[in-house]
Parts: sequence; structure tokens; C-alpha cells
Amino acid sequence: MEAKFLLVGESAVSIQMGDVISLEVNQKVRGLMQSLLDDPVDGIKEMVPTYASLMVHYRPEVIRYEELKKEIKKRMENAGQAKEQSSIVKEIPICYEGELAPDLEDCARFEDISIQEFIRMHSEHEYYTYMLGFAPGHAYKARFEEPFHFKRRESPRVKIPGRTIVAQTNQSNLIPFPQPCGWNIVGTTPCEVCDYSKEDPFLVHAGDWVKYMPVTRSEYDAIRRDVEKGTYRVNTYTRKGNEKAVK
Amino acid sequence: MGIVVENPGILTTVQDEGRFGYQQFGVSPAGPMDTQSFYLANILVGNKRSEGVLEMTFQGPTLRFEKDIIVAITGGDLKATLNGEPAPMYQAFLVHAGDVLSFGMISGNGRIGYLAFAGGLDIPLVMGSKSTLMRNNLGGVHGRKLEKGDVIGFANPKTELPNMELRKLEPEVFPKNEITLRVVTGPQDSEFTEKELKRFFWYGAEITNEFDRMGCRLKREEPVQHKGDGNIISDGIAFGSIQVPSNGQPIIMLADRQSTGGYTKIGTVIAVDLPKLAQSVPGYKVRFIRVGIELAQNLYIRRLQQFKSLEKQLGQR
Repeated sequence: MEAKFLLVGESAVSIQMGDVISLEVNQKVRGLMQSLLDDPVDGIKEMVPTYASLMVHYRPEVIRYEELKKEIKKRMENAGQAKEQSSIVKEIPICYEGELAPDLEDCARFEDISIQEFIRMHSEHEYYTYMLGFAPGHAYKARFEEPFHFKRRESPRVKIPGRTIVAQTNQSNLIPFPQPCGWNIVGTTPCEVCDYSKEDPFLVHAGDWVKYMPVTRSEYDAIRRDVEKGTYRVNTYTRKGNEKAVK
Repeated sequence: MGIVVENPGILTTVQDEGRFGYQQFGVSPAGPMDTQSFYLANILVGNKRSEGVLEMTFQGPTLRFEKDIIVAITGGDLKATLNGEPAPMYQAFLVHAGDVLSFGMISGNGRIGYLAFAGGLDIPLVMGSKSTLMRNNLGGVHGRKLEKGDVIGFANPKTELPNMELRKLEPEVFPKNEITLRVVTGPQDSEFTEKELKRFFWYGAEITNEFDRMGCRLKREEPVQHKGDGNIISDGIAFGSIQVPSNGQPIIMLADRQSTGGYTKIGTVIAVDLPKLAQSVPGYKVRFIRVGIELAQNLYIRRLQQFKSLEKQLGQR
């Protein structure tokens, strides 16, 4: 699909790079954003990458729409796909036990598999972070192997706790703060998903790969103490076989 | 040393121009609901236009001053008094240590007031901004609206400004009962038939009670019909984006809007018309007029030029 320039009032434009949620389309969005960071256009105020679009907020007093569109198109020719995906994977600890995983049993029952098998399917694969949105640090992530079949709960909860990990089909999002949510909660991380006191407040960024690392309740408590002391560091490793990434 | 909050009012928050650069991490920009009144308040007291002020909704606070400073009040009329006597609006004036500046209820002309302090408020920057985002306990005074007993310091309080006699504007008279908002269609105008788009602009809507800093829900007698189900792959949201969820009742996204969302957006209210909406109350009728991007940008730039020429007149920059 050819990129579409969609007007969002006098000070923003949404550049739609595709009409499906896929790694390939999202990489195009990231590629365009990167080329606009490498070769900036005067007047662009901020950029917001989402699944399939790049939102560009700009100052019409510095650059008018037609001129901006021309400049973006120029950079689009040089951009194409993100030249290299990040190959760093962040290992996020997750506890799948007790009240930290209230919907785990329901989910496993729905899939007709054991809890152990459910945890394996959920934690064995790497997840790609498509975008951040909805709340500070709220990460929309998906894996490309072994999707679940269940979707949302019949009735959404008015409030779920922060630091929970919710899942449906191949998606699994990180929830930073208490919020209403219709998804099933499969675990909780001891890490802060968003911590304003840090120089970089956000546990994951758009474009990051993430792997969930199962921990026991006592490991969870220990990590939590380190997080509160400010001494916990998330492990990272280099991703093998980027080529296996599914379209 | 600054102001002591003796009564916080209903919804009083610190807002500067907004928190920009963090929408990619899911952080709403916040900032003023009525940008026009916000900018004018800062210009009147010689501040940078983007400086943090107090935004006061429905009912304003009672503030005791511990230090002399020049202030200006703009926006909706909240019946301000200084030591019991009516205080001027749209005019810079000096307040002395010990004075009490008190605001009342909205009085039929607008609903949001702004109070700017010459030299600004001493509020820590969070991600580069003083703006309060209550939903995420971010910025301002402990990330929340003002409470009784809060003390807010002044950054660089000024008791003298050049051209004091010129620091006076005609107070704004906000429209009543019915407002007209100009709209640039998009980004998902193609999700509606041309006939339905015409109907959107032909029929008005009404402002409901679900109207806060995040958005304004409208009620239409006949819901807007989508071609599809009203859902899209989540994309970016702007100040003024008009979302049409599957129930066909439009929501205009405002200062505390989410940075992204998954509902179709039929159009965007242009920046210079959003203050009219911010100053409206539930029950008002809203009419939409379709305008092109050229006109929308011209109007935006013209407003900026007006601010600049006012600043020049006052000997600022």
C-alpha cells in the first residue's frame, strides 16, 4: 500500500504506511520516523509512531502543510523499512502465581491446556513492542508464534492493578498504572512499567523486543525489594535469528 | 514565598503550554483547555506565552499572597475579588503581601478562568513541563488539583513591568447557548459516506455532562453512521480530534486527551475555535462548519501574529 497523508487539523498529519498490524508495516513506520530524526524537518514538533501510522505534530507558522508533505516524501524515498531492527531483547520478570495472575486458570482452561503449558506458551517467545499509548509506558506487544484463542473477558473490569500483564490471542500488554481493562490478567511484573523519577521513565520503548522471564513468588518479592531500592537492572540479550520474524 | 491556598475551588490546576515530546510514550500533553485566554494571561504579565498559570474551572480558589507580585486574570468570569472588592479582568495589576484574591462561581460568561503571575510559578518541571495531568498524577502540585493549605512559590516575582497602563484588554465575551466550530475533515473521513459527512455538518449536536479536561461527549439525535464498525487500527490523536465510536455519538478530544486511540476520527476542530468549546457548558448546541487546511492554518498563524504584535506593543521581545 502506498503511504497516505491524512489531515489531522492544522497542526498534525497522520502518515498511514499500511492497513494491517504487522511487523513489516510497523518497521516502515519506524523507518520513516528514523529518517525524520536523522534528517530533521524544521517545524516538526513531535512524532508519535503507532501500529501502522506515524503522527507528525508540527508548527504551521514554521512550515505549511504542502511544504511539510514534500519534505516528508523526500525522506520517505530514503527510508523504506527500518534498516536494522533492534536486536536487543529485554527480559521482563513475570510472576504467574496466585493473586498476581488472577485469570491464569480461566485462560488455561479455555485453551484446554495445563497451566504449565500456558506459561510455556506465554513466556517462551519474544514479543515485539508495536507502540506505546493509552497511558504512560503502556506497551502494546505481540509475539509471532503459538497464538492463544481466547479474547477479552465478557465484562471489563473497572480497575486492574498496575504492573500487570494482560493477554489475548498473540498480544500481551504491559499495564503501567491501575486502569479499566477488559483483558485477562496472566501475571504481574515486579518492575515499574513507568517510573517518573527515572531519567528514562519507561520500561520498554516502541520497537523493543521483550521476553517474559517466569519467576516464583519469592523471587518476585526479592526483585520487588531491589526495584524499590533502585538497584534492579533488567537483563538484556542479543536476539538470535532476526530473519525468523514473521510478516 | 508565594500564595497560600485557603480554598482550592472545584478544579484548579497548574498548566503551562503542555508536555510535548512524550506522546510517543503514551503521555498526554495536558496544557490549557482555552489556549487563547491562557496565552493572553501570560502576555499581560510579561511572561513567555508558554509559562505555567493556574487554570480554574467552575469555581475558583481563594488565595492569600505572601509576597508582592503582578498578576492578570483572563478567560471565563469567575467573579474575582481582591480583599472583597471586585478585581479587574484582562488587566495586569499589582497584588500585595497579605492580600486575598478570591474567585466565585461561573456567572454565565465562560467557565474556565486563568490566573497568570509575572515571573511565573515555582513548580518543578516533569518531563520538561509544569502542566498537571491528574489522570497519571503527573506535574503541577503533586500531580493533582490544588488542595486547601497548598503553598506555591513564585519563580521570579515581578512588581514592576514596562507600560503598565497598556496592559489592559477588552474582556472576552464568550458565546452562549450555541457555538460554531470549524472543522478540517480527516484523518478517517473516508470511513463515512459523502452523504453522512454532509449530515454531520448539517445537523448540530448538544454538549452532554460528560465534559472534562479529557474530552467532550456530544449527543446527536441521529447517531453518525459509519461505513464499517467505527474501529480502526489505533493511531495518533490531536487536540480537537472528533472521535466517532461505534455508537455514533461524537467525542471531541481536549487537553488531557490520550495520545493514541482506536476510534474513527471524522475531523479535527481547528485550534482557534477550541477556546469557544472549552468555555461552553453542558446543554449548549454545537454546529460544525467544514473548512480547508489552508484557511485553518491561516487562522492559526493570524492568531499567533496578533499575540506577537500585542507583545511588541507592550515592549516584550
